[in-house]
Amino acid sequence: MTETRLLNLNDVAFAYDGDVALDHVTMHIDPGQAVALIGPNGSGKSTMLKGVLGVIPLVHGEMTVFRPKKGRGQSGRIGYLPQDDDIDADFPITLRQVVMMGRYRRLGLFRFPAPDDRQAVADALEVTGLSSRANHRFGTLSGGQQQRGLLARAMATKPSLLLLDEPFNALDQPNRDALITTLNDLKARGVGILLTTHDLDLAREVCDSVLLVNGTQIAFGAREEVLTLANLQQAFRDVQVEVDEHTVVLPGHEH
Amino acid sequence: MNLIDILSQAFTLPFMWRAAIVLGALALAAGLIGVFVNLRGLEFMSDGLTHAVFPGVAAGFVFAGQGGVVIGAILAAALATVVLTLLSRRRVTSDAAIAIILTTMFSVGVIIVSRSHDVTASLEQLLFGHLFTVTTTEVITTALVCAIALALVLVTLRGQVFSSFDERGAAASGYGTLGLTLILNVAIACVVVAASIAVGNLLVLAVLIVPGAISRMWSRGLGGLFAGALIFALVAAALGLLGSFTVSVGADVAVPGGAAIAVVFVAGYMLSLLLRALVRDTSRSVEA
Repeated sequence: MTETRLLNLNDVAFAYDGDVALDHVTMHIDPGQAVALIGPNGSGKSTMLKGVLGVIPLVHGEMTVFRPKKGRGQSGRIGYLPQDDDIDADFPITLRQVVMMGRYRRLGLFRFPAPDDRQAVADALEVTGLSSRANHRFGTLSGGQQQRGLLARAMATKPSLLLLDEPFNALDQPNRDALITTLNDLKARGVGILLTTHDLDLAREVCDSVLLVNGTQIAFGAREEVLTLANLQQAFRDVQVEVDEHTVVLPGHEH
Repeated sequence: MNLIDILSQAFTLPFMWRAAIVLGALALAAGLIGVFVNLRGLEFMSDGLTHAVFPGVAAGFVFAGQGGVVIGAILAAALATVVLTLLSRRRVTSDAAIAIILTTMFSVGVIIVSRSHDVTASLEQLLFGHLFTVTTTEVITTALVCAIALALVLVTLRGQVFSSFDERGAAASGYGTLGLTLILNVAIACVVVAASIAVGNLLVLAVLIVPGAISRMWSRGLGGLFAGALIFALVAAALGLLGSFTVSVGADVAVPGGAAIAVVFVAGYMLSLLLRALVRDTSRSVEA
């Protein structure tokens, strides 16, 4: 069973410069499964994504990340959507060139993009509804379009596992709906997804499972089992949580 | 003598050829690497490097004469690059780190030069270059150092682009970003060393920073960005070289080559700023 898992963590802790930012994480992602990573600001959500990416070190426990066999152009099979404020928006680069970055690891040092690379880029632009913007300078696109452009870049890697940091930020309603459709399509194709979000309603439309954290793991499992009042109160100690039959409102976060 | 005579005479002179080769190599390297200096906002770090290289240049000059300059410069640049890169990765803000290193190294350089017998002449050569009196050995060294800088960046080009745009995304897709930064900084140091010989330590920045800055103003994508910077660097270097020769010969006013080139680069930047203000953002919104 574990051989087919995309991601498997067993009592893992991640640390910045020796300070543990998130610990006791035991979770997994299977193909076609989407996990919402939920917690208050500073609870270790981004830490978790960076830890899985290998950008910050694991200091305790075991982590197995699906990687295809090592070999030329095969190492970049995790797609990552950073928060858009990490990006230099004034960079002179077209949207198409940004999406092509998703193919860089396959291209290696000197090979020029081949038809299948161009096709992957065109497909990713198509799915994110940005084909008509391909030759625009990235910085001239709206916030929502930039966000979708970066998602297209993550998709152009043809990832088995997608890590999305606040993918719904800066999106208006049509863009949110489009993103939800895209993510559900990807799931149907067997892509595993781990996304951070503040918006439980949106998480509900895409994710089957939830990982609730606040510096440590509070709960992991099926959505309904994890999103209980008791768990949410434990995770969001400092903010008021209201739960009724259908919605969970977290005051203080934008919707 | 009219202008045509002067220019046709120019390349019958061996020193003009040497100057042209040095400048051509420098323009290619500075054009390409300057793009990344601009994209990553490394202008102040480059300035720090020029100051850090100075004591190496000075020490090389004092201990081994003109031939020691390049070796001294390379050693100082390598040391400063590693220190600057690592410091800026720690919690020290990079500006503070650079400012401290910059002043320390420059004062060390001045102290070293003051030990030399021929202080004024050597200082002038180090600070303002000696484009028209470069030796054949210096031509070869400069070309070699520029070639190394170009090779370092060309081999890592895709990683450099990705990492400049979005360092975390680059790390996520498997690039070693510390290695990429170090390689880029070594390449910048190479350009600084090469340029110190030709246009002088104080004028390096014009050549390194202006082409990338101008090209960024006008380009929509990566192709234009690199092509624009390289073309501007080559054209401006040629104009500066021929301009200073023409004025020196035609008007009999000795114009230092390095300064003339820096003036052309900066004038190009002013002109570009002016045009950019006139042609407000049309290039950025044109459909392709």
